[in-house]
Amino acid sequence: MSEDARGRLTELKVLSEKAGAGDKEARKELRRLVRASSPEVIAEASGIARRAEWMLVKIISAGEPLMEEALEERMQQMRSQIAGEDPTPLEVLLTERVVAGWLLVEVLEGLIAAQYQRDIKAHRVAPTYVIQQSRIVESATRRYLAAIRELVRVRKLQAGAPVQVNTQVNVLRG
Amino acid sequence: MTLERRDGRLYYYRSVRDGERVRKVYVGAGEFARICSETDVLQRTSRRAQRERERAELERLEGLVALVEEFSEAAQVLVTAHLVAGGYRKHKGEWRRARSV
Repeated sequence: MSEDARGRLTELKVLSEKAGAGDKEARKELRRLVRASSPEVIAEASGIARRAEWMLVKIISAGEPLMEEALEERMQQMRSQIAGEDPTPLEVLLTERVVAGWLLVEVLEGLIAAQYQRDIKAHRVAPTYVIQQSRIVESATRRYLAAIRELVRVRKLQAGAPVQVNTQVNVLRG
Repeated sequence: MTLERRDGRLYYYRSVRDGERVRKVYVGAGEFARICSETDVLQRTSRRAQRERERAELERLEGLVALVEEFSEAAQVLVTAHLVAGGYRKHKGEWRRARSV
């Protein structure tokens, strides 16, 4: 992300905290800044997401053009299903966050599974390594679920509905 | 791990941790000592290489996470800014419409 965008994000964060604590001047300034810099910052953040997704797709498809295309298609479907019709820029951004989070979890699980297939037969995986890997996947999964919850919240708030979000994860044994 | 030569004969000892102390445990002598020593060196090298591979793999995974995380954090800041600017405030992890906006 560019220095400029980073600076704006920091400014938005500081003003949000002040406004959230009741500072009316900060809220006014925040409104102005959100209007002025949001589209640009959203575009830049989306650019990062696309770069990250591209890199993840390349890894998981391992140079298979068909797999790469299938993944791109799947992600496109997810985007349109999640964002729905006529999404706000914020919804588009949060949708991208959900898609990137999903892809990251898929890639991490895929990489780890492939490594286990290689290494477990040779009894070469150290327990500390397994723990560290699990932490990385767990934290990515947590962020992915948080992204879903945030999108649901924002949607409900935009619709003016009361907000209560419960996330349930069902793990099926294959 | 030491391979010692005494009176022209090889003796091999392994170092074993026993609480705070490290003990030297006799393994064998002669040709057997040499084979054990070489096997241990090979195993140590292999373990070191494996640790190095694991470290590199973890770094790779963390690198993948970092890019998505950077985007994710930026998105969160933007969402919060939009909501606060729109008159919401966070109360005990829940967004509520602020009374005085």
